[in-house]
Amino acid sequence: MNRKLLGVILTLIFVFALFLGLVYIGGNMLGVERLQTGERPLLRFAFVGIGLVAAFLVYAFTKENKAWAVGTREVVYMAIGAALYAVFSYLFNGTVFVVPSVSQVALRPAISIPMFFGYAFGPVVGFFTGAVGNMVGDALTGFGLYPQWSVGNGLIGFIAGMAMLFTDKKKSMNTVLVIGAVLAALATLFFFLFRNVPNALFFAPDQGIFGDQPISLLAGLSIVVGFILVLIVRFVFGKNIDVAAAVTWGMLGNLIGLGFAAISDIWINGYPPAVAIVGEFLPSAGPNLIFAAILVPILVGAYAALQRQTGR
Amino acid sequence: MLVTWRYRRRRSLIQNFDPRAWIIFYLCFMGVTISFWDVRILAVLFAVALGVVLSSGISWREMRRAWLFIGGFVVYFSLFTFLTGRGGVEFYTEEHVIRNLQASFTLFGWQPTLHITVERTFYAMSMLVRVFSLASMTILIPYSFNPAQYGVTFRGLGLPDKFAYAMDLTMRFVPTYARDFQITMDAQRARGYEIEKLRGGLLSQVRKLAPLIVPVTIQAIAGSEDIIDAMDLRAFGVQPRTWLEELHYHARDRVLIALGVGVFLFSLALSIYGVGSFWIPEALKALPLL
Repeated sequence: MNRKLLGVILTLIFVFALFLGLVYIGGNMLGVERLQTGERPLLRFAFVGIGLVAAFLVYAFTKENKAWAVGTREVVYMAIGAALYAVFSYLFNGTVFVVPSVSQVALRPAISIPMFFGYAFGPVVGFFTGAVGNMVGDALTGFGLYPQWSVGNGLIGFIAGMAMLFTDKKKSMNTVLVIGAVLAALATLFFFLFRNVPNALFFAPDQGIFGDQPISLLAGLSIVVGFILVLIVRFVFGKNIDVAAAVTWGMLGNLIGLGFAAISDIWINGYPPAVAIVGEFLPSAGPNLIFAAILVPILVGAYAALQRQTGR
Repeated sequence: MLVTWRYRRRRSLIQNFDPRAWIIFYLCFMGVTISFWDVRILAVLFAVALGVVLSSGISWREMRRAWLFIGGFVVYFSLFTFLTGRGGVEFYTEEHVIRNLQASFTLFGWQPTLHITVERTFYAMSMLVRVFSLASMTILIPYSFNPAQYGVTFRGLGLPDKFAYAMDLTMRFVPTYARDFQITMDAQRARGYEIEKLRGGLLSQVRKLAPLIVPVTIQAIAGSEDIIDAMDLRAFGVQPRTWLEELHYHARDRVLIALGVGVFLFSLALSIYGVGSFWIPEALKALPLL
């Protein structure tokens, strides 16, 4: 076993031990309610364990793949992606330009940046773009730092970049579509079960709304609308495999990344699961799918034209 | 061409410290501030932030735009929170009235009423102080850190060479792309594009943002070739990197780090046990309920 592999294994064991320690010391010894594991502690540890093992397996099987290589080009693309994501999210967060929101769905076009950079330049560039870009963007606005949302945004780019790991693009894309459909259906089921949960992300101080208005039908169903748009792109651009794959993988990244951020708020902010999923996940992930389905194909097309022109 | 932040060498408190030490202190300060809602504790943090701002040696003229932006943002949120009284509902369940102001006119049968309550007043004050502390500490950073030291600062904080350099480039690209965005928007406006008047449904509004997003992104990627070439010519990433500037911790830096981390851990422990949550003076609880 070489040293690098050993290092990865040790890191994963360390993360698991840290999690165990946090729950044991914080939850059981100090009695902090938020860190206690509830009724099925084994199940939660099993989930963390499965996640870590999955991360390790993905790495172990693909470590020879060039998608993980970080050269000069990747370093520069990382920085470009992060800076663009930061600038766009600062400009379009509703304070600089007052862009209208349609029935609680605010325009957040910046999200297409981590998806595009992840897909075009690989998972490492994607992760850096999402995570650092979100951090710098929040700092520019003066909102402060929310580590779980930075990691979630990083995951968007990371998963979009995992498309590079598969040689059979069409087959992997269809698997991704099925997984995405299941996740979107589950989230929508939650929406119908908990219709009265407030949309925690919708602020309109001039109308006296501080993330406490019940979620609108459009915001709740936006994930379905977004998924249908992704499907349309997938089949209309079926011949142009890059456009179709970028949008599908971007969709999966968006669902998993923001799902991670919203669900971790159950422990970090002490939200009930229904609020995390219906109040945070749906109004952020759903609209993102709509922007992704429209803007990512345009970016992929423009980048392909640039590549043809310069011969890279 | 790259645009830079407005850094100058100044006689200031921040620049007396090592940038790494200041970043650690800054992160701890953020952590402490978001742990509390008690206006007495927040006032202390506000005083610290104000002291740092006043000793930063940055003139009002240089920072005017940033302050106006943050000021507008802070006032917008805390004022509307105060007027509508709905921002802090998760912190208190009952409200004690100081005064009820009733308008002497009615609009379509609705008489505007403003309930000034203890809770709303204290919530608005906490909000104002909290956001101001966070924002003012953040906007000082680009004015106070030498761009030549970004990379070595992040390296010193423990990032690997390549990622430290990527952070360095990110910090340098941000003002450049903000300028590129402005130029692109002006060019599109000259052709009759109006971002203020996006029409149509959600889908067509999103599509109409493409003329801004796509040119800026593609130009950034196309323009990066020069930077990639320059880095390759200097054999970037071939061997462990050496940095042109070096940073050394002094005694005062170690004190600052110890102070920051110590206060942060202490306030984390306090907030886990519920100390420092939303507070109003006991004496005012005698006022009538809303």
